[in-house]
Amino acid sequence: MSEKTDTFKPFDPTEMFKSMRDTNMDAWSKMMIQLVNTDAYSEATGTMLDTWLTSSGPFRKAVEKAMTQVLTNLSMPTRADFFSLAERLTNIEMRLDDLEAKLDQSLRPVGKAATKA
Amino acid sequence: MTATETGNPTMPNVYEELLKIAGNSQTFQRLMLTDAKIAQTPKKLIWTLNKAKLFRYEPVAPEDKRRRIPLLMVFAIMNRPHVLDLRPGHSFTEYMLKFGYDLYLLDWGTPGPEDSALKFDDYALEYLPRVTRKIKSVTGSDKFSMLGWCLGALISTLYASLRPNDGLKNLILLTAPLDFSDKTSSGFSRWTSNPAFDPDKIIDAFGNVPGEMVDYGAKALKPVENFIGTYLNLWDNINNPKVVESWHAMNTWVRDVIPMPGGAYRQLINEFYKQNRLMEGKLALRGEPVDLAKLTASVLTVTADVDHITPPCQSAGAVERMGSKDKEIFRVHGGHIGIMAGSGAEKTTWPHIERWLAARDT
Repeated sequence: MSEKTDTFKPFDPTEMFKSMRDTNMDAWSKMMIQLVNTDAYSEATGTMLDTWLTSSGPFRKAVEKAMTQVLTNLSMPTRADFFSLAERLTNIEMRLDDLEAKLDQSLRPVGKAATKA
Repeated sequence: MTATETGNPTMPNVYEELLKIAGNSQTFQRLMLTDAKIAQTPKKLIWTLNKAKLFRYEPVAPEDKRRRIPLLMVFAIMNRPHVLDLRPGHSFTEYMLKFGYDLYLLDWGTPGPEDSALKFDDYALEYLPRVTRKIKSVTGSDKFSMLGWCLGALISTLYASLRPNDGLKNLILLTAPLDFSDKTSSGFSRWTSNPAFDPDKIIDAFGNVPGEMVDYGAKALKPVENFIGTYLNLWDNINNPKVVESWHAMNTWVRDVIPMPGGAYRQLINEFYKQNRLMEGKLALRGEPVDLAKLTASVLTVTADVDHITPPCQSAGAVERMGSKDKEIFRVHGGHIGIMAGSGAEKTTWPHIERWLAARDT
Protein backbone atom coordinates (compact mmCIF):
# COMPACT_ATOMS: atom_id res chain seq x y z
CA MET A 1 0.00 0.00 0.00
CA SER A 2 2.85 2.32 0.76
CA GLU A 3 4.24 4.26 -2.18
CA LYS A 4 7.37 6.18 -1.33
CA THR A 5 8.61 9.21 -3.18
CA ASP A 6 12.25 10.10 -3.71
CA THR A 7 11.79 13.87 -3.84
CA PHE A 8 13.44 15.55 -0.90
CA LYS A 9 11.13 18.01 0.87
CA PRO A 10 13.26 20.09 3.25
CA PHE A 11 10.36 21.79 5.01
CA ASP A 12 8.27 18.73 5.65
CA PRO A 13 8.73 18.09 9.40
CA THR A 14 8.61 14.33 8.88
CA GLU A 15 11.20 14.52 6.10
CA MET A 16 14.03 15.04 8.55
CA PHE A 17 13.34 11.69 10.11
CA LYS A 18 12.40 9.87 6.93
CA SER A 19 15.72 8.39 5.93
CA MET A 20 16.45 7.41 9.51
CA ARG A 21 12.96 6.00 9.82
CA ASP A 22 13.12 3.95 6.61
CA THR A 23 16.39 2.44 7.70
CA ASN A 24 15.41 1.60 11.23
CA MET A 25 11.65 1.04 11.16
CA ASP A 26 11.73 -2.68 10.40
CA ALA A 27 14.37 -3.38 13.02
CA TRP A 28 12.51 -1.26 15.55
CA SER A 29 9.23 -2.99 14.78
CA LYS A 30 10.76 -6.46 15.13
CA MET A 31 12.39 -5.47 18.38
CA MET A 32 9.10 -4.18 19.82
CA ILE A 33 7.20 -7.30 18.71
CA GLN A 34 9.83 -9.43 20.43
CA LEU A 35 9.62 -7.26 23.51
CA VAL A 36 5.83 -7.55 23.90
CA ASN A 37 6.17 -11.30 23.41
CA THR A 38 8.46 -11.82 26.38
CA ASP A 39 7.46 -13.27 29.73
CA ALA A 40 8.96 -10.22 31.42
CA TYR A 41 6.58 -7.92 29.53
CA SER A 42 3.60 -10.17 30.35
CA GLU A 43 4.60 -10.19 34.00
CA ALA A 44 5.08 -6.42 34.12
CA THR A 45 1.79 -5.49 32.42
CA GLY A 46 -0.12 -8.16 34.34
CA THR A 47 1.25 -6.92 37.64
CA MET A 48 0.57 -3.26 36.79
CA LEU A 49 -3.02 -4.00 35.80
CA ASP A 50 -3.54 -6.16 38.87
CA THR A 51 -2.14 -3.49 41.19
CA TRP A 52 -4.38 -0.82 39.72
CA LEU A 53 -7.51 -2.99 39.81
CA THR A 54 -6.81 -4.14 43.37
CA SER A 55 -6.12 -0.64 44.69
CA SER A 56 -9.08 1.00 42.94
CA GLY A 57 -11.51 -1.82 43.86
CA PRO A 58 -12.46 -0.73 47.41
CA PHE A 59 -13.03 2.88 46.29
CA ARG A 60 -15.19 1.75 43.35
CA LYS A 61 -17.25 -0.54 45.58
CA ALA A 62 -17.77 2.23 48.14
CA VAL A 63 -19.05 4.59 45.42
CA GLU A 64 -21.38 1.92 44.06
CA LYS A 65 -22.73 1.16 47.52
CA ALA A 66 -23.31 4.83 48.30
CA MET A 67 -25.03 5.41 44.96
CA THR A 68 -27.34 2.43 45.46
CA GLN A 69 -28.19 3.71 48.94
CA VAL A 70 -28.98 7.20 47.64
CA LEU A 71 -31.16 5.92 44.79
CA THR A 72 -33.02 3.55 47.11
CA ASN A 73 -33.69 6.35 49.61
CA LEU A 74 -35.00 8.52 46.77
CA SER A 75 -37.22 5.66 45.54
CA MET A 76 -35.33 5.68 42.24
CA PRO A 77 -34.46 2.56 40.26
CA THR A 78 -30.92 1.32 40.75
CA ARG A 79 -28.52 -0.21 38.23
CA ALA A 80 -29.59 -3.68 39.35
CA ASP A 81 -33.25 -2.79 38.73
CA PHE A 82 -32.47 -1.75 35.17
CA PHE A 83 -30.50 -4.94 34.58
CA SER A 84 -33.36 -7.04 35.84
CA LEU A 85 -35.83 -5.16 33.61
CA ALA A 86 -33.56 -5.60 30.57
CA GLU A 87 -33.34 -9.32 31.25
CA ARG A 88 -37.12 -9.58 31.41
CA LEU A 89 -37.48 -7.70 28.14
CA THR A 90 -35.04 -10.05 26.43
CA ASN A 91 -37.00 -13.02 27.75
CA ILE A 92 -40.19 -11.54 26.33
CA GLU A 93 -38.42 -11.00 23.00
CA MET A 94 -37.38 -14.65 22.97
CA ARG A 95 -40.95 -15.78 23.60
CA LEU A 96 -42.19 -13.54 20.80
CA ASP A 97 -39.49 -14.94 18.54
CA ASP A 98 -40.64 -18.49 19.32
CA LEU A 99 -44.26 -17.52 18.66
CA GLU A 100 -43.30 -15.93 15.33
CA ALA A 101 -41.38 -19.06 14.33
CA LYS A 102 -44.36 -21.26 15.17
CA LEU A 103 -46.67 -18.97 13.21
CA ASP A 104 -44.33 -19.04 10.22
CA GLN A 105 -44.25 -22.81 10.37
CA SER A 106 -48.01 -23.18 10.53
CA LEU A 107 -48.57 -20.66 7.73
CA ARG A 108 -46.06 -22.24 5.35
CA PRO A 109 -48.43 -24.98 4.03
CA VAL A 110 -51.11 -22.32 3.47
CA GLY A 111 -48.67 -20.20 1.49
CA LYS A 112 -47.59 -23.18 -0.64
CA ALA A 113 -51.22 -24.11 -1.38
CA ALA A 114 -51.98 -20.51 -2.38
CA THR A 115 -48.96 -20.47 -4.72
CA LYS A 116 -50.11 -23.72 -6.41
CA ALA A 117 -53.67 -22.43 -6.84
CA MET B 1 20.02 23.89 -14.00
CA THR B 2 17.68 25.83 -11.69
CA ALA B 3 17.51 25.68 -7.94
CA THR B 4 14.18 23.89 -8.14
CA GLU B 5 15.57 21.17 -10.38
CA THR B 6 18.41 20.47 -8.00
CA GLY B 7 15.98 20.30 -5.10
CA ASN B 8 17.44 23.34 -3.33
CA PRO B 9 14.77 25.52 -1.79
CA THR B 10 14.24 28.98 -3.19
CA MET B 11 11.87 31.48 -1.59
CA PRO B 12 8.82 30.76 -3.82
CA ASN B 13 9.58 27.07 -3.48
CA VAL B 14 9.58 27.32 0.32
CA TYR B 15 6.24 29.10 0.27
CA GLU B 16 4.76 26.43 -1.99
CA GLU B 17 6.13 23.68 0.23
CA LEU B 18 4.64 25.26 3.34
CA LEU B 19 1.26 25.64 1.64
CA LYS B 20 1.41 22.02 0.56
CA ILE B 21 2.28 20.86 4.06
CA ALA B 22 -0.58 22.91 5.49
CA GLY B 23 -2.99 21.35 2.98
CA ASN B 24 -1.69 17.85 3.70
CA SER B 25 -2.02 18.44 7.43
CA GLN B 26 -5.64 19.46 7.01
CA THR B 27 -6.35 16.35 4.94
CA PHE B 28 -4.56 14.22 7.53
CA GLN B 29 -6.61 15.70 10.35
CA ARG B 30 -9.85 15.22 8.42
CA LEU B 31 -9.04 11.58 7.71
CA MET B 32 -8.19 10.96 11.35
CA LEU B 33 -11.32 12.54 12.76
CA THR B 34 -14.07 11.84 10.26
CA ASP B 35 -15.85 8.66 9.24
CA ALA B 36 -15.75 7.26 5.73
CA LYS B 37 -18.92 5.81 4.29
CA ILE B 38 -18.56 2.10 4.94
CA ALA B 39 -21.05 -0.80 4.86
CA GLN B 40 -22.98 0.73 1.99
CA THR B 41 -24.42 -2.42 0.37
CA PRO B 42 -28.23 -2.30 0.63
CA LYS B 43 -29.69 -4.68 3.19
CA LYS B 44 -32.90 -5.27 5.05
CA LEU B 45 -33.37 -5.92 8.77
CA ILE B 46 -35.28 -9.19 9.17
CA TRP B 47 -34.78 -10.22 12.81
CA THR B 48 -33.69 -8.79 16.15
CA LEU B 49 -33.05 -10.11 19.63
CA ASN B 50 -31.75 -7.86 22.39
CA LYS B 51 -28.94 -5.92 20.61
CA ALA B 52 -28.40 -8.51 17.86
CA LYS B 53 -29.70 -7.85 14.37
CA LEU B 54 -29.96 -10.09 11.33
CA PHE B 55 -29.76 -8.44 7.93
CA ARG B 56 -30.52 -9.86 4.49
CA TYR B 57 -28.63 -8.27 1.59
CA GLU B 58 -30.60 -7.36 -1.48
CA PRO B 59 -29.71 -9.76 -4.28
CA VAL B 60 -28.08 -8.34 -7.41
CA ALA B 61 -27.63 -11.46 -9.55
CA PRO B 62 -30.38 -12.47 -11.96
CA GLU B 63 -32.83 -15.05 -10.61
CA ASP B 64 -31.45 -17.93 -12.71
CA LYS B 65 -27.88 -17.33 -11.52
CA ARG B 66 -28.57 -17.31 -7.79
CA ARG B 67 -27.09 -19.92 -5.47
CA ARG B 68 -29.40 -22.31 -3.67
CA ILE B 69 -27.90 -22.36 -0.18
CA PRO B 70 -28.04 -19.14 1.87
CA LEU B 71 -24.83 -17.91 3.51
CA LEU B 72 -24.77 -16.43 7.01
CA MET B 73 -21.82 -14.24 8.02
CA VAL B 74 -20.92 -14.11 11.72
CA PHE B 75 -18.30 -11.63 12.85
CA ALA B 76 -16.50 -11.24 16.18
CA ILE B 77 -18.27 -9.81 19.23
CA MET B 78 -15.80 -7.00 20.01
CA ASN B 79 -15.77 -5.25 16.62
CA ARG B 80 -18.40 -4.08 14.18
CA PRO B 81 -19.00 -6.42 11.22
CA HIS B 82 -18.66 -3.61 8.66
CA VAL B 83 -15.23 -4.87 7.62
CA LEU B 84 -17.06 -7.52 5.58
CA ASP B 85 -18.57 -4.73 3.52
CA LEU B 86 -15.83 -2.14 3.80
CA ARG B 87 -16.42 0.18 0.87
CA PRO B 88 -18.06 0.08 -2.56
CA GLY B 89 -15.67 -1.54 -4.99
CA HIS B 90 -13.79 -3.36 -2.25
CA SER B 91 -16.32 -5.37 -0.31
CA PHE B 92 -16.54 -9.12 0.32
CA THR B 93 -20.32 -8.77 0.60
CA GLU B 94 -20.56 -7.05 -2.76
CA TYR B 95 -18.31 -9.72 -4.30
CA MET B 96 -20.42 -12.63 -3.05
CA LEU B 97 -23.68 -10.96 -4.07
CA LYS B 98 -22.38 -10.66 -7.62
CA PHE B 99 -21.92 -14.43 -7.64
CA GLY B 100 -25.56 -14.89 -6.67
CA TYR B 101 -25.30 -15.75 -2.98
CA ASP B 102 -28.28 -15.15 -0.72
CA LEU B 103 -26.33 -13.32 1.94
CA TYR B 104 -27.16 -12.72 5.61
CA LEU B 105 -25.22 -10.76 8.20
CA LEU B 106 -25.50 -11.22 11.95
CA ASP B 107 -24.56 -8.01 13.75
CA TRP B 108 -24.17 -8.74 17.47
CA GLY B 109 -24.71 -5.05 18.26
CA THR B 110 -23.19 -2.99 21.05
CA PRO B 111 -23.63 -4.61 24.47
CA GLY B 112 -24.81 -2.39 27.29
CA PRO B 113 -23.95 -2.81 30.99
CA GLU B 114 -27.04 -5.01 31.28
CA ASP B 115 -25.45 -7.53 28.88
CA SER B 116 -22.34 -8.11 30.96
CA ALA B 117 -23.41 -11.67 31.80
CA LEU B 118 -23.63 -12.78 28.14
CA LYS B 119 -21.41 -15.80 27.46
CA PHE B 120 -20.48 -18.00 24.54
CA ASP B 121 -23.23 -20.33 25.78
CA ASP B 122 -25.78 -17.65 24.90
CA TYR B 123 -24.27 -16.83 21.51
CA ALA B 124 -23.95 -20.45 20.40
CA LEU B 125 -27.09 -21.91 21.93
CA GLU B 126 -29.57 -19.04 22.14
CA TYR B 127 -28.79 -16.53 19.40
CA LEU B 128 -27.39 -18.65 16.54
CA PRO B 129 -30.11 -21.33 16.60
CA ARG B 130 -32.73 -18.57 16.41
CA VAL B 131 -30.88 -16.82 13.60
CA THR B 132 -30.56 -19.98 11.53
CA ARG B 133 -34.21 -20.81 12.21
CA LYS B 134 -35.16 -17.41 10.85
CA ILE B 135 -32.99 -17.85 7.75
CA LYS B 136 -34.54 -21.25 7.06
CA SER B 137 -37.99 -19.78 7.51
CA VAL B 138 -37.30 -16.83 5.17
CA THR B 139 -35.63 -18.87 2.44
CA GLY B 140 -37.59 -22.11 2.74
CA SER B 141 -34.24 -23.90 2.54
CA ASP B 142 -33.37 -26.59 5.08
CA LYS B 143 -29.66 -26.08 4.49
CA PHE B 144 -27.41 -23.10 5.01
CA SER B 145 -23.74 -22.16 5.00
CA MET B 146 -21.98 -20.15 7.66
CA LEU B 147 -18.89 -17.97 7.59
CA GLY B 148 -17.36 -17.03 10.92
CA TRP B 149 -14.41 -14.72 11.42
CA CYS B 150 -12.20 -14.52 14.51
CA LEU B 151 -14.40 -14.97 17.61
CA GLY B 152 -17.31 -15.30 15.18
CA ALA B 153 -15.54 -18.42 13.91
CA LEU B 154 -15.20 -19.72 17.46
CA ILE B 155 -18.93 -19.19 18.09
CA SER B 156 -19.78 -20.81 14.73
CA THR B 157 -17.61 -23.83 15.60
CA LEU B 158 -19.28 -24.22 18.98
CA TYR B 159 -22.71 -24.02 17.37
CA ALA B 160 -21.76 -26.44 14.58
CA SER B 161 -20.45 -28.97 17.11
CA LEU B 162 -23.48 -28.70 19.38
CA ARG B 163 -26.20 -28.53 16.74
CA PRO B 164 -24.91 -30.66 13.84
CA ASN B 165 -28.43 -31.51 12.68
CA ASP B 166 -29.68 -27.93 12.31
CA GLY B 167 -28.96 -27.90 8.57
CA LEU B 168 -25.46 -26.42 8.48
CA LYS B 169 -23.90 -27.72 5.27
CA ASN B 170 -20.78 -25.64 4.81
CA LEU B 171 -18.70 -23.92 7.46
CA ILE B 172 -16.02 -21.37 6.63
CA LEU B 173 -13.73 -20.41 9.49
CA LEU B 174 -11.54 -17.35 9.07
CA THR B 175 -8.63 -17.01 11.50
CA ALA B 176 -10.47 -19.08 14.10
CA PRO B 177 -8.97 -19.08 17.62
CA LEU B 178 -9.72 -22.65 18.73
CA ASP B 179 -6.53 -24.32 19.95
CA PHE B 180 -4.57 -22.61 22.73
CA SER B 181 -2.16 -25.41 23.55
CA ASP B 182 0.90 -23.37 22.53
CA LYS B 183 1.16 -20.63 25.14
CA THR B 184 4.02 -18.96 23.28
CA SER B 185 2.34 -18.77 19.87
CA SER B 186 1.05 -15.20 20.27
CA GLY B 187 1.28 -12.20 22.53
CA PHE B 188 -2.30 -12.75 23.73
CA SER B 189 -1.48 -16.33 24.75
CA ARG B 190 1.57 -15.19 26.68
CA TRP B 191 -0.17 -12.28 28.39
CA THR B 192 -3.25 -14.22 29.42
CA SER B 193 -1.33 -17.28 30.62
CA ASN B 194 0.54 -15.15 33.12
CA PRO B 195 -0.88 -15.77 36.63
CA ALA B 196 -0.89 -12.00 37.30
CA PHE B 197 -3.47 -11.51 34.55
CA ASP B 198 -6.84 -11.97 36.23
CA PRO B 199 -9.90 -11.45 33.99
CA ASP B 200 -12.24 -11.65 36.98
CA LYS B 201 -10.79 -8.46 38.41
CA ILE B 202 -11.23 -6.68 35.07
CA ILE B 203 -14.86 -7.77 34.89
CA ASP B 204 -15.50 -6.81 38.51
CA ALA B 205 -14.17 -3.34 37.73
CA PHE B 206 -15.81 -2.69 34.35
CA GLY B 207 -18.69 -5.14 33.86
CA ASN B 208 -18.03 -5.22 30.13
CA VAL B 209 -14.46 -4.91 28.88
CA PRO B 210 -14.17 -1.41 27.37
CA GLY B 211 -13.68 -1.41 23.61
CA GLU B 212 -10.64 0.82 24.00
CA MET B 213 -8.99 -1.77 26.21
CA VAL B 214 -9.55 -4.59 23.70
CA ASP B 215 -8.38 -2.29 20.90
CA TYR B 216 -5.25 -1.34 22.81
CA GLY B 217 -4.45 -4.99 23.48
CA ALA B 218 -4.71 -5.88 19.78
CA LYS B 219 -2.64 -2.88 18.72
CA ALA B 220 0.02 -3.47 21.37
CA LEU B 221 0.87 -6.80 19.74
CA LYS B 222 2.49 -4.84 16.90
CA PRO B 223 3.07 -1.47 18.53
CA VAL B 224 5.28 0.21 15.93
CA GLU B 225 3.03 -0.63 12.97
CA ASN B 226 -0.23 0.19 14.75
CA PHE B 227 0.70 3.29 16.73
CA ILE B 228 3.18 4.89 14.33
CA GLY B 229 3.60 3.07 11.01
CA THR B 230 0.00 3.37 9.87
CA TYR B 231 0.01 7.16 10.29
CA LEU B 232 3.40 7.58 8.60
CA ASN B 233 2.11 5.49 5.73
CA LEU B 234 -0.88 7.79 5.40
CA TRP B 235 1.33 10.89 5.47
CA ASP B 236 3.65 9.45 2.82
CA ASN B 237 0.69 8.72 0.52
CA ILE B 238 -1.56 11.63 1.37
CA ASN B 239 -1.76 12.72 -2.26
CA ASN B 240 -2.63 9.26 -3.54
CA PRO B 241 -6.45 9.11 -3.57
CA LYS B 242 -6.54 5.32 -3.85
CA VAL B 243 -4.43 4.79 -0.73
CA VAL B 244 -6.20 7.58 1.16
CA GLU B 245 -9.67 6.18 0.43
CA SER B 246 -8.65 2.72 1.52
CA TRP B 247 -6.91 4.02 4.68
CA HIS B 248 -9.90 6.17 5.62
CA ALA B 249 -12.35 3.28 5.30
CA MET B 250 -10.16 0.96 7.37
CA ASN B 251 -9.52 3.62 10.02
CA THR B 252 -13.26 4.27 10.28
CA TRP B 253 -13.81 0.60 11.03
CA VAL B 254 -10.85 0.37 13.43
CA ARG B 255 -11.98 3.45 15.41
CA ASP B 256 -15.48 2.07 15.90
CA VAL B 257 -14.68 0.01 18.99
CA ILE B 258 -17.35 -1.66 21.09
CA PRO B 259 -17.19 -3.26 24.54
CA MET B 260 -16.99 -7.00 24.97
CA PRO B 261 -19.51 -8.61 27.33
CA GLY B 262 -17.79 -9.43 30.61
CA GLY B 263 -19.11 -13.01 30.79
CA ALA B 264 -17.78 -13.85 27.33
CA TYR B 265 -14.41 -12.23 28.09
CA ARG B 266 -14.00 -14.16 31.33
CA GLN B 267 -14.88 -17.38 29.51
CA LEU B 268 -12.52 -16.62 26.63
CA ILE B 269 -9.55 -16.02 28.90
CA ASN B 270 -10.18 -18.69 31.52
CA GLU B 271 -11.77 -21.54 29.58
CA PHE B 272 -10.10 -21.05 26.20
CA TYR B 273 -6.78 -19.19 26.55
CA LYS B 274 -5.74 -20.46 30.00
CA GLN B 275 -7.34 -23.94 30.14
CA ASN B 276 -7.74 -24.79 26.41
CA ARG B 277 -10.95 -26.65 27.29
CA LEU B 278 -12.25 -27.02 23.73
CA MET B 279 -9.20 -28.99 22.61
CA GLU B 280 -8.95 -30.86 25.91
CA GLY B 281 -12.54 -32.04 25.44
CA LYS B 282 -13.57 -30.42 28.72
CA LEU B 283 -15.73 -27.59 27.45
CA ALA B 284 -19.45 -27.62 28.20
CA LEU B 285 -21.97 -24.95 27.24
CA ARG B 286 -25.15 -24.91 29.33
CA GLY B 287 -24.15 -28.35 30.54
CA GLU B 288 -23.74 -29.79 27.03
CA PRO B 289 -20.24 -31.10 26.30
CA VAL B 290 -18.73 -29.64 23.13
CA ASP B 291 -17.26 -32.36 20.96
CA LEU B 292 -15.54 -31.26 17.76
CA ALA B 293 -15.94 -34.79 16.40
CA LYS B 294 -19.68 -34.14 16.16
CA LEU B 295 -19.14 -31.32 13.67
CA THR B 296 -20.14 -32.86 10.35
CA ALA B 297 -20.48 -29.89 7.97
CA SER B 298 -17.89 -29.39 5.22
CA VAL B 299 -15.18 -27.13 6.62
CA LEU B 300 -12.90 -24.58 5.01
CA THR B 301 -10.41 -23.06 7.45
CA VAL B 302 -8.57 -19.96 6.30
CA THR B 303 -5.41 -19.06 8.19
CA ALA B 304 -3.20 -15.98 7.83
CA ASP B 305 0.50 -16.79 7.96
CA VAL B 306 1.51 -13.52 9.65
CA ASP B 307 -1.50 -13.27 11.94
CA HIS B 308 -0.30 -11.87 15.29
CA ILE B 309 -3.77 -12.16 16.87
CA THR B 310 -4.71 -15.71 15.85
CA PRO B 311 -1.60 -17.52 14.63
CA PRO B 312 -2.28 -20.39 12.18
CA CYS B 313 -1.54 -23.05 14.82
CA GLN B 314 -4.62 -21.91 16.79
CA SER B 315 -6.86 -22.95 13.87
CA ALA B 316 -5.06 -25.84 12.20
CA GLY B 317 -4.89 -28.20 15.18
CA ALA B 318 -8.63 -28.05 15.76
CA VAL B 319 -9.48 -28.99 12.17
CA GLU B 320 -7.93 -32.43 12.68
CA ARG B 321 -10.36 -33.09 15.54
CA MET B 322 -13.46 -32.12 13.57
CA GLY B 323 -15.70 -34.98 12.49
CA SER B 324 -16.26 -33.62 8.99
CA LYS B 325 -15.16 -35.78 6.06
CA ASP B 326 -14.70 -32.77 3.80
CA LYS B 327 -12.06 -30.45 5.30
CA GLU B 328 -9.59 -28.01 3.84
CA ILE B 329 -7.06 -25.59 5.27
CA PHE B 330 -6.33 -22.61 3.04
CA ARG B 331 -3.22 -20.67 4.00
CA VAL B 332 -3.07 -17.05 2.91
CA HIS B 333 -0.14 -14.68 3.12
CA GLY B 334 -1.37 -11.79 5.23
CA GLY B 335 -2.49 -10.60 8.63
CA HIS B 336 -5.61 -11.14 10.74
CA ILE B 337 -7.71 -8.54 8.93
CA GLY B 338 -5.66 -8.14 5.74
CA ILE B 339 -6.56 -11.57 4.37
CA MET B 340 -10.18 -10.44 3.95
CA ALA B 341 -9.99 -6.65 3.81
CA GLY B 342 -6.54 -6.04 2.30
CA SER B 343 -5.95 -5.04 -1.28
CA GLY B 344 -4.98 -8.61 -2.25
CA ALA B 345 -8.09 -10.28 -0.78
CA GLU B 346 -10.04 -9.88 -4.00
CA LYS B 347 -7.49 -12.02 -5.83
CA THR B 348 -6.78 -14.66 -3.19
CA THR B 349 -9.17 -15.23 -0.30
CA TRP B 350 -12.49 -14.16 -1.81
CA PRO B 351 -12.26 -16.23 -5.02
CA HIS B 352 -11.15 -19.28 -3.05
CA ILE B 353 -14.10 -19.00 -0.66
CA GLU B 354 -16.50 -18.45 -3.56
CA ARG B 355 -15.22 -21.44 -5.54
CA TRP B 356 -15.22 -23.67 -2.46
CA LEU B 357 -18.82 -22.73 -1.67
CA ALA B 358 -19.96 -22.97 -5.30
CA ALA B 359 -18.69 -26.56 -5.46
CA ARG B 360 -20.83 -27.36 -2.41
CA ASP B 361 -24.00 -25.50 -3.38
CA THR B 362 -26.11 -28.64 -3.70
